[in-house]
Amino acid sequence: MPTVSVPSSQQVLDVLGHIQDPDLGRDVVTLGMIKELEVSPQGKVSFTFELTTPACPVRDRFKTQAQDLVGDLPGVTGVEVRMTANVRQSFMRPKPSEILPGVKQTIAVASGKGGVGKSTVAVNLAAALRRSGAEVGLLDADIYGPSVPAMTGSRSVPEQVNGRLKPIEAHGLKLMSFGHIYPGDQATIYRGPMVGKAIEAMMVQVDWGRLDYLVIDLPPGTGDASLTLAQAVPLTGVAIVCTPQDVATDIAIKALQMFRKLNVPALGLIENMSWYVCSECGHRHEIFGHGGAEAAAARLGVPFLGAIPLEDGIRADSDKGTPVVISRPDSAGAKAFEHIASQVAARTSIQSFRQLPVINVH
Amino acid sequence: MDIAWEDGKQSTYTGEQLRWACPCAECRGEGGAPGRLARLHALSADELRIKDVTLVGQYAVQIAFDSGHATGIYTFPYLRGLGAAAKP
Repeated sequence: MPTVSVPSSQQVLDVLGHIQDPDLGRDVVTLGMIKELEVSPQGKVSFTFELTTPACPVRDRFKTQAQDLVGDLPGVTGVEVRMTANVRQSFMRPKPSEILPGVKQTIAVASGKGGVGKSTVAVNLAAALRRSGAEVGLLDADIYGPSVPAMTGSRSVPEQVNGRLKPIEAHGLKLMSFGHIYPGDQATIYRGPMVGKAIEAMMVQVDWGRLDYLVIDLPPGTGDASLTLAQAVPLTGVAIVCTPQDVATDIAIKALQMFRKLNVPALGLIENMSWYVCSECGHRHEIFGHGGAEAAAARLGVPFLGAIPLEDGIRADSDKGTPVVISRPDSAGAKAFEHIASQVAARTSIQSFRQLPVINVH
Repeated sequence: MDIAWEDGKQSTYTGEQLRWACPCAECRGEGGAPGRLARLHALSADELRIKDVTLVGQYAVQIAFDSGHATGIYTFPYLRGLGAAAKP
C-alpha cells in the first residue's frame, strides 16, 4: 500500500491562505490569524484561528472553510480548529497613561436627534458584544438625561478606591453614568463647559480596567458632549441611530457630518423603530415609514448596519432593567441587535487597521 | 515639525511658518475684527519656537510655542494645505 506523507506546515498555510476576510479584504494567513499550527506525524493538524473580534459575523463560516480546506489535503487524518478572538488595539494612543489606558476600542453611539433610541441601542449593543465573549464597558455621556442606570437595573452609587471610581457591574458589563454618581430625581443643571469636564472625568477618573470595547452613549446634538469626546479620545468610530422618517434621518446626517469633520469614521447607520408587528392581527406596520436610514446610508456612502423593530418587549425589558438581548435572546428585537453588534464589531476591526498621520517634532 | 501622511506623502513645517498660520481667534480675529497677526509685522524668537504638539482627537493637533501661546488647533486638512510641497 503506498504511504501518503503528511503535509508540511507551509502546505497547510497555503490552503488556509485561500480564506479571504470579507471585511478586511485580505487573506487570513496574511492577517496573522492562524497561530500555533501543528502537524502531528500521524497527519493530525491543529491550529488556533484568532479573529479580530469575538462577535465576528463570519466566525462559523471561517471555521467550516478552514476544516474543509485542510481536511482535503492528502495525508490529513484529522483537523482541530480552535476559534479564539483578540480585539486589536485601536490605531493610536496619544497619551496612554491618562485616557482609557486599558481600552482597546471606543465606539460612540450618536444620533443628532433625541428620542430615537440611542440608549436602548447602546445598552443592547454592549450586551450583545458581551454575550459574544468580549470585555465590554458602557459610558453614559448623557449628563442631563442619563438613561443607562434604569435600562440596566443598576442604581448603586460607585465606590471610590484610591481616589478613583469603580465602574458599576451589571449583566457582565462595566457601567458608568451620571445617574450613578448623582442618583435620585435632582436635575443636573450645567452649562456647556461643565458637561465637557463631567465627560472627561468619567473617562479619566473611572478605573475602567481592561476592555475590548467601550461603548459610549452620546446625548443628542452636535455640541459640547460630542466635541469633548472627539477631542479627548481617539474614537474608533461612531454608529448613528435614527428612525425611518425624514425628520430623523435629516438630523442623523448632520451628526454624521460633524463626526466626519472630526475625522471620526462612521461605522454606519442603524434604523430603530423600523416596524411593528401587531399582537392582535399579526400584521406588520411600518409606522414611521420604511427604509429611510438605508436610503440615507446609501446616499452618504456609509454602511447600513441593520434595522430594529418596535417591540413591546424591548421597551418593557428596558424599563425593568434587563437588555432584551439577555432577557429574550430569541425575540426578533434581540436577533436584530445581535446582527447589528456583529456588524459594528466587523466595522470596528476594519478601522483598527487604519493609518493616521504621524507627527514628528524636532 | 514633520508629518508623514496616511498616503505616504511627507510635509515639513518650520515653527515660524506654523506660528504665522495659527488659526485661533486671537490671531485670526473674529466677528470682522482683525486679529493679532494682522497687526504685527514681526514676532519674537520665543513666539516661533515649538514647545509641544498634542493630538486633538484624531482630526487635529494643538501646537504650543515657547512664548506660551497654545490656543491654535490645526486640523489635518489645514496642515495638509499648508504643506503644499508635500513630497512623495
